Amino acid sequence: MTSTSSRPVAETVQPERAAATARRLSLLNVAFELRAFIALAVLIVVFSVLSDSFLTVPNLITMTKHVAINAVIALGMLLVILKGGIDLSVGSIVGLSGVVAGELLGGLNLGFADLIAYPPVWVVIVLCMGVGALVGLVNGILVTRFKVAPFIATLGMLYVARGLALLISNGATYPNLAGDPELGNTGFGLLGSGRPLGLPTSIWIMIALAAVVALLLTKSPFGRWLYATGGNERAAELSGVPIRRVKTVVYVISGACAAIAGLIIASELTSAAPQAGETYELNAIAAVVIGGAALSGGRGTVRGTLVGAFVIGFLADGLVILGVSTFWQILIKGAVIILAVMLDQGQQRLKRRGAAASAVAATRQPDRPHQQ
Amino acid sequence: MTATNAVLAAREVTKVYGGTQALKGVDFDVAAGRVTALFGENGAGKSTLMKILAGIEQPTTGHVELDGRPARLASSRDAADQGISIIHQELSLCPNLSIQDNLFLAREVRRPYGAVDRRAEREATIAVLRTLEEELDPDTPVADLRLGQQQIVEIARALLQEARVLIMDEPTSALTAPEVEVLFKVIRDLTARGVAVVYISHHLDEALEIADDVVVLRDGRLVATAKAGDVDLRWIVAQMVGRDQDALFPDREALAGDEVLALRDLVVADPANPDRLAVNGVNLTLRAGEIVGVYGLMGSGRTELLEALAGRIPPASGEIRLGGEPLSGTGIRERIERGVVLVPEDRQRDGLVQTMTVGENLSLAGLYKFVRRLFVSQERERGAVERVIADVTVKTAGAKAPIGSLSGGNQQKVVIGKALLTDPRVLLLDEPSRGVDVGAKADIFQLMAAQARRGLAVLFTTSEAEEALHIPDRLLVLARGVVVGEYRRGEINREELMSVSDGAAIGGAAR
Amino acid sequence: MYAPFLRQGRRRGLVLALSLLVGGSLMTACGSSGEPAATTQAGQSPASSAGTAGGLIAIITPSHDNPFFKAEADAAKAKAEELGYETSVASHDDDPNKQSELIDAAISRSAKAIILDNAGADASIGPVRKATDAGVPVFLIDREINATGIAKAQIVSNNSQGAQLAAQAFVEAMGSKGNYVELVGKESDTNASVRSKGFADVISQYPDMKSVARESANWDQQEAFTKMETIIQKNRDIQGVIAGNDTMALGAVAALKAAGLLDKVVVVGFDGSPDAIAAIKAGEMHATALQPAALAATSAVEQADEFIKTGKVSKDEKQSIDCELVTKDNADEFGVFARK
Repeated sequence: MTSTSSRPVAETVQPERAAATARRLSLLNVAFELRAFIALAVLIVVFSVLSDSFLTVPNLITMTKHVAINAVIALGMLLVILKGGIDLSVGSIVGLSGVVAGELLGGLNLGFADLIAYPPVWVVIVLCMGVGALVGLVNGILVTRFKVAPFIATLGMLYVARGLALLISNGATYPNLAGDPELGNTGFGLLGSGRPLGLPTSIWIMIALAAVVALLLTKSPFGRWLYATGGNERAAELSGVPIRRVKTVVYVISGACAAIAGLIIASELTSAAPQAGETYELNAIAAVVIGGAALSGGRGTVRGTLVGAFVIGFLADGLVILGVSTFWQILIKGAVIILAVMLDQGQQRLKRRGAAASAVAATRQPDRPHQQ
Repeated sequence: MTATNAVLAAREVTKVYGGTQALKGVDFDVAAGRVTALFGENGAGKSTLMKILAGIEQPTTGHVELDGRPARLASSRDAADQGISIIHQELSLCPNLSIQDNLFLAREVRRPYGAVDRRAEREATIAVLRTLEEELDPDTPVADLRLGQQQIVEIARALLQEARVLIMDEPTSALTAPEVEVLFKVIRDLTARGVAVVYISHHLDEALEIADDVVVLRDGRLVATAKAGDVDLRWIVAQMVGRDQDALFPDREALAGDEVLALRDLVVADPANPDRLAVNGVNLTLRAGEIVGVYGLMGSGRTELLEALAGRIPPASGEIRLGGEPLSGTGIRERIERGVVLVPEDRQRDGLVQTMTVGENLSLAGLYKFVRRLFVSQERERGAVERVIADVTVKTAGAKAPIGSLSGGNQQKVVIGKALLTDPRVLLLDEPSRGVDVGAKADIFQLMAAQARRGLAVLFTTSEAEEALHIPDRLLVLARGVVVGEYRRGEINREELMSVSDGAAIGGAAR
Repeated sequence: MYAPFLRQGRRRGLVLALSLLVGGSLMTACGSSGEPAATTQAGQSPASSAGTAGGLIAIITPSHDNPFFKAEADAAKAKAEELGYETSVASHDDDPNKQSELIDAAISRSAKAIILDNAGADASIGPVRKATDAGVPVFLIDREINATGIAKAQIVSNNSQGAQLAAQAFVEAMGSKGNYVELVGKESDTNASVRSKGFADVISQYPDMKSVARESANWDQQEAFTKMETIIQKNRDIQGVIAGNDTMALGAVAALKAAGLLDKVVVVGFDGSPDAIAAIKAGEMHATALQPAALAATSAVEQADEFIKTGKVSKDEKQSIDCELVTKDNADEFGVFARK
């Protein structure tokens, strides 16, 4: 009475149709990949129509200069987010870096020798980046060694770094960072107001940093390690990726990037306030997220992050040019961020559907490699 | 078994997870008043099919029929409302809540004005626990119960729903023999009242004892149905594994070369519970060109043994030597560079980076080989990746395809390919055949044999007796962290293997 | 360059802060920067060794990272210790909840009086009443609350008068005509709208004064800088910028300087911060309206002292202190939020 049935499987999904679905989905995918570009294009068109002074070369340069500050922070943030972490301390590092610059340019009291040292500007810049990197290192050690959740560790350092900035400055602003020709420490202002080859220094800094980070991510083993650690930490570890080092380094780079942004701001204003950079971490996170990175890690690009920073910056400046009320500006910015993340969710869903369709197509044609 | 008295049925059901096809067009009937036992190896699709019947998962194609009419089971709640309840393989209780609160979670008995009628709930709880002959205080938090008691609570919850169809997915894995007897008595009562029961268990004899109908799944397909009285365990195993069982295992001659890896008195603490020793004094030598198998069940220490060798967990004591050089104090990375690499058991959790492409996954562990100055030489990387895709016969659209687009077997081949790309001397594989279909299994075993022929030392673990008997040149039986037997191929048969590992487990428990 | 009194303190701060960061003693750093309340025993200070007989005066202000509030708290503390009181200085960081806790603490320590720069015109009514009911008199400085008869005094600088003063100087410097930009403070803040209205009261009388942009920069220097740069892109034909505080005015100065427009544009601010006074001396800003923070604080302590000793207050509850105009001509006469 044993009945053994090896019946043929009903063809519920036609392989051709599944393949076609996969193709159509991948086209849609391309549109989604470009969504940040599309958003940017829409913004530019809308503002150009509404205002004559938007689409002019000087205004584009000015807006790009404003974007640069957020973009520099966001590039560091991108690395941290790729790892699956988050760095809330960058805004405070911006303030701390400016304050340290102010303190150093005002002369460093070497108590033991009873001397006041006036380090040259390049030394000041290196030291400020060092301070940012140091805060980042503390973040990294807290996260990797002491297993503090990144959100908590960097939230703590947000307060610590801000507190340090206030302690060093005693709450006051350093009003004049121009330096003194007699002491040989002039030139700090060039970082903010210099225009090599007709473009503000900060734009060059953004371009250079973006190139370095892009190279790091796409060409270096570190980049691959970073994507792997963010995508699946356990698998990365078992593949021999030094995950602790990777995780620490991203916070160090993020801290140094924030310090650079702090220097640019202090240089533009030729003054440094300990409160500078408050809530900048949120703008940087927004840029990275609009640029298509996943907060869960492993996914995101330099190109996307730059476009995200441009979307936020052009939106803000465009609304100012149109004279839209501040309250509306805030609301619109929030709506754009939510919209971007919703689009991202849609894209992920599409990708999963695409993968399922490919798998069905593949199992129906077991002998051929499947087409996407 | 005819379709006419089927209460619940699956019709041409297909299910795809990411790139893995778990079910490939299954027709499955559940008859009222009978126990249908479902058999199949790991990854055959049993649990997936049950989840679809219980409304937890939705079929990719095909549909579910209730009383002969197409039914939509949008959620487990929806299915429960239509008289289908499931006892999960994984316990789905809230440990912080009491037995009573768990039993009535989201199905609270209400008084007319909306408050919970705790007294009615309490009476019902006591009654159902009495049926199961388990005298427990309804207010006991579930966290305080031992695993078997928790499983009984899970069963009690399903009973309380007075379902017409009751699905039991591994209900007895933590029960003692007397508890299983009580459960069987309860099941008989239920079927006498016309309830349809679906029963899944790894204990084949136990399932066959309670079953009226037998259904076998293999590789996502339904391959056989029979009356329980007409078949025996042998037949069921044959159906589960498939007739091409012999083709699964490659023919090979053992050719052991020089000693490559040697363990002396290796002791490894359980990372999840440092007071327990997962591996307790293992000695082992591994020669070039040799395939050594470690047969052990869950908790035998097989995974910890391989992870200690790969450098993931530091051993508590003992010595590991690679080609005569001690390996102690080195991390995963250094061991990979020196030629020891692990293919982990859980490829989703430990093996693959889902956000990366096939090529990026393949080159991850061996990336250091392609670094020129500061950067990865893409040319060299691409060449190596393409070679390895051909070597391990991965079916993929190319190196740039997302890893999720591959089937389970091909994903497993990618994990193995990643390990091979590091040019290892010792290849460690933890349950390499878990959750892959029969074709991919054969490929993987062929691959292991081919690598051994090239002079690699291969060490793998398995919990499948057939694999343990046929693949390795030498087999170690591991139980409770101790090697309880060592055999050459052909020195031991299935029954002896079972008795050795069971005996050791019992002996170990008595120690 | 910079006021010498800040210099020394800051430098000590840097050495301390860096050594903490390097040494990894984060908890210490956290404790010292995150702890707002610093109690000083008057007895420790040799100037007021007269004793603690006077009792405790609690001084509660917004965050000291704004030098204005720091100046106000410092002045109150100095005056109270001079009069022989013990002091406790704390910051509520504009958090009404924290303010309430600080007031509770003052009550439980049986403070003789509370000098309060409050955290919200409505949100502070309850806590002030709580203190008054507990027998601790409250003297409000800088900001009012929306209730009378509870606090013993409400001593505020006259924002409206100050704004008109600043606007008058602004109009005169511009020759009563031209295009101007207004930078407004945080729009949810009462002082932002009071000052903006004060500006408008004056400027609207001159028909040739044309507003080309009005933007909020949230009291923030970098934001003022960015907004000003964008506004310049829209319209370079600007003769004046008037800002709701000095911080924003200095941001505008930086943007104008970068655009090469500073010598053609009149910039006027509000507050009289040391940085703004330095900028006025350097010719970068035209004027600012100085809020005599120290004066209000000292006056509040004197009135508290009077009440503690006599049980009465001789002045009206609502008192306003006029702002003073600072220009290049009289800039040397002013210190930190006070005449020298």
